[in-house]
Amino acid sequence: MAKPRTYNSEDFSRPLRRVLVGFSVVLFLALFVLWRIDSPRVERFRMALIDKVVPSFAWAMAPVTKLSTMVDNFQSYGRLYEQNQQLREELQQMKAWKEAALQLEQKNARLLDLNNVRLDPMLTHVTGVVLTDSGSPFRQSVLLNVGTRDGIQDGWATMDGIGLVGRISGVGNRTSRVILLTDSSSRIPVIVQPSDQKAVLSGDNSMLPPLDFLEHPDQIQPGDRVVSTGDGNVFPAGLLVGQVAMGADKRLRVVLAANYERLEFLRVLRSYASAPITDTGALLVPLPPRPLPAGVQGPLVPAAGLPPAAPPEGAGTALESTASPAVPDGTTGARSD
Amino acid sequence: MINALIGPVWLHRLIFLGVALVLTFVRLLPLQTTAGHLPGPDLLLCLIFAWMVRRPEYLSALMIGVVILAEDILLMRPPGLWTALVLIGAEFIRARSALTRELNFGVEWLLVAGVIFGVFFANRTILDMAFVNQPAFGFSLLQIIWSVAAYPVVVALSRYGLDLYKPAMGQIDAFGRRM
Repeated sequence: MAKPRTYNSEDFSRPLRRVLVGFSVVLFLALFVLWRIDSPRVERFRMALIDKVVPSFAWAMAPVTKLSTMVDNFQSYGRLYEQNQQLREELQQMKAWKEAALQLEQKNARLLDLNNVRLDPMLTHVTGVVLTDSGSPFRQSVLLNVGTRDGIQDGWATMDGIGLVGRISGVGNRTSRVILLTDSSSRIPVIVQPSDQKAVLSGDNSMLPPLDFLEHPDQIQPGDRVVSTGDGNVFPAGLLVGQVAMGADKRLRVVLAANYERLEFLRVLRSYASAPITDTGALLVPLPPRPLPAGVQGPLVPAAGLPPAAPPEGAGTALESTASPAVPDGTTGARSD
Repeated sequence: MINALIGPVWLHRLIFLGVALVLTFVRLLPLQTTAGHLPGPDLLLCLIFAWMVRRPEYLSALMIGVVILAEDILLMRPPGLWTALVLIGAEFIRARSALTRELNFGVEWLLVAGVIFGVFFANRTILDMAFVNQPAFGFSLLQIIWSVAAYPVVVALSRYGLDLYKPAMGQIDAFGRRM
């Protein structure tokens, strides 16, 4: 029964090991419970950790991403002729649109000049580069390389060149996470344009997020424009989201205007909250007449028992009679002594 | 050469950390920003279980915990729960290493598939009990089925790429100790 010595030490270490493993399992479960109870704090910790780790890999990520998109592009050379024809057709259409756009731009500039409109200088944007995606097919988000040092705040809208892409949720010092409109936790207030119906665009992890809480779905045609609203002070109003389409399940869905295939540079719109209105507002009335100093004889005031001499001037005399008793004792008058 | 310097255990631990890093890195690359893709296999899970069946001493519980927790945090999963469940699954297999040595591959595959499904259902159940918003059931089941299907590939890569095999009964290592 001569066992090697190492086996003896294992006899002692095995129960200890089991205790340590059990302890770490409990620790991990406690972290999960903590996350469930106090999610914002743990999510802030997560964001801080990602902020530390991910940018240090950016040097490696950028070339690999570039390379794979180049391979993708290379594959498209196979359909070169087809694409060329398609592009020529589109170019013809675009020329007409360009002409229209130029005319509208000039008209717009003239009108702005006429009305002396100053665009809000606070409404600018910060452009960020997409570092990573969520890494999981169940979540739709991307990480940008701009953060609090660039003044990014939670909740700001993010666009690519054309349409709305998502909103900032989670900001680190150097990075910030954008929850895309397709994520199943994304809810955005929108308005469908010709019929001006308000709705909520709720992502469901598909490329065509559905419109919820529509009042009259029958008034909406596929092809209607969907833009964001400023409801609830969540978003700046009027950002293009996409077009309505009828899904295969007969729900009204939105074809997003932004190009989700190539999210490379995203604009984060700086949107500062407008000053909130807290009180119900005061009446704009003229200041009450200053009371006369004591000893100076004022205009003759009718005695309380007598009816007023001129009934049509009831409003004026009533004001006088309520204001005048305050003069002798000086309690409500604005006297400086 | 590194093998002589730090020994086979630490060499394989370094290899494991490197592979886990590369797998997470590849998943984080911003290549699939469109929604609605079918989920692929969870290769890291397969790797842990495949190594745990073959050489349990190469994977310490602490290392598994740290790697999966880092993945949890980077991939925006609820932190800690998946880590704890994978750790329990791995320790379940480790406790049966004397048994799994004797098994042929088919039975081993069944055992690992059972553990993967157990971990998956426990995860769903606990998340449901905690009222956490979850992806559709069939959608996430697909990932688990993919993982079970990918398990033999991971085993083959570890066996022929890294020469990782189950030690035979009574086999001794370079220092003459029983494995």
